[in-house]
Amino acid sequence: MERTTITEKITPVFRKVLNEASLEITDQLSASDVDNWDSLSHMLLISEIESAFNIKFKLKELNKMKNVGDLISIISTKLEE
Amino acid sequence: MSTITIRKATLKDIPFLTKTIIEAEKSGTSTLSYSTIFGLNLNEIEQLISEMLLEEVDDCELSISSFLIAEENGVTAASLSGWLENASEIPSSVLKGNLLNYYLPRECFIKAAESAKYTKALHIDYIPNTFQIGAGYVEESFRGRQLLGLLTEELIKGLTAQFPSINEIYAQIFDCNTPSLKTYERAGFEIVSTKISKENDTINYLPSLKKILLKKDIKKSEQKINNLNK
Repeated sequence: MERTTITEKITPVFRKVLNEASLEITDQLSASDVDNWDSLSHMLLISEIESAFNIKFKLKELNKMKNVGDLISIISTKLEE
Repeated sequence: MSTITIRKATLKDIPFLTKTIIEAEKSGTSTLSYSTIFGLNLNEIEQLISEMLLEEVDDCELSISSFLIAEENGVTAASLSGWLENASEIPSSVLKGNLLNYYLPRECFIKAAESAKYTKALHIDYIPNTFQIGAGYVEESFRGRQLLGLLTEELIKGLTAQFPSINEIYAQIFDCNTPSLKTYERAGFEIVSTKISKENDTINYLPSLKKILLKKDIKKSEQKINNLNK
């Protein structure tokens, strides 16, 4: 799946979970850039993304993600597995 | 003769660290967020926290490496955690969220989503590149001996030795946690802000409707002590 397609698919998930209707998803976006991106929101965010793509991240994969760009790369790799 | 020794926590301390995290979450009340937010019973919570600690993920409130232990004659008396926020360029809240996502049963997520609005109302972001104090707990029979103060001092010494350029340390506590507030104020922390939830139902999930953010300027405090000793 193309990175742009993945971005389009995760954008509504981010907006819903983080309650930010106009949140712009970029590769550089990270938890430090969004108010209230707390542990609970992050947990829900990852869970919804796993459901949306029917994948399950390993803990090591999750702990390597520094920003949305990393997240998209890992989703892309997992979809090719 | 009784002597208190301070050491780093190890895997063997997981039961005590689990107790520390649970008691710190409760902040002297009977409200345990792991139970109110995720709908888990105490046994399930203990199991969950132990599993997450066993992962040995560093730089967050669920890291064994963040904890110091105080013991007397081999008996564990108290523990306290602290870490450098964003040490690996990943916020500690993200690392904790990853652990929760990985270990929590899926059925807990629906309940957690319902409570998110109420817990977010008291969320205070951790500031990157500052030290953060997390969970602390003193066994009842060891209370009144300033062990949390001693652990705070040792934690600051250890973190400062490791990251000498960092000058600020923060602690977030619920306002109902008077013993911790007194400990941190005695240790030179000052209240820098408070957050009050406008959502009354927050009290159904967390120990209080008010959170306090305390800060200590490490170099300024050292300077003050040096001046007093002159």
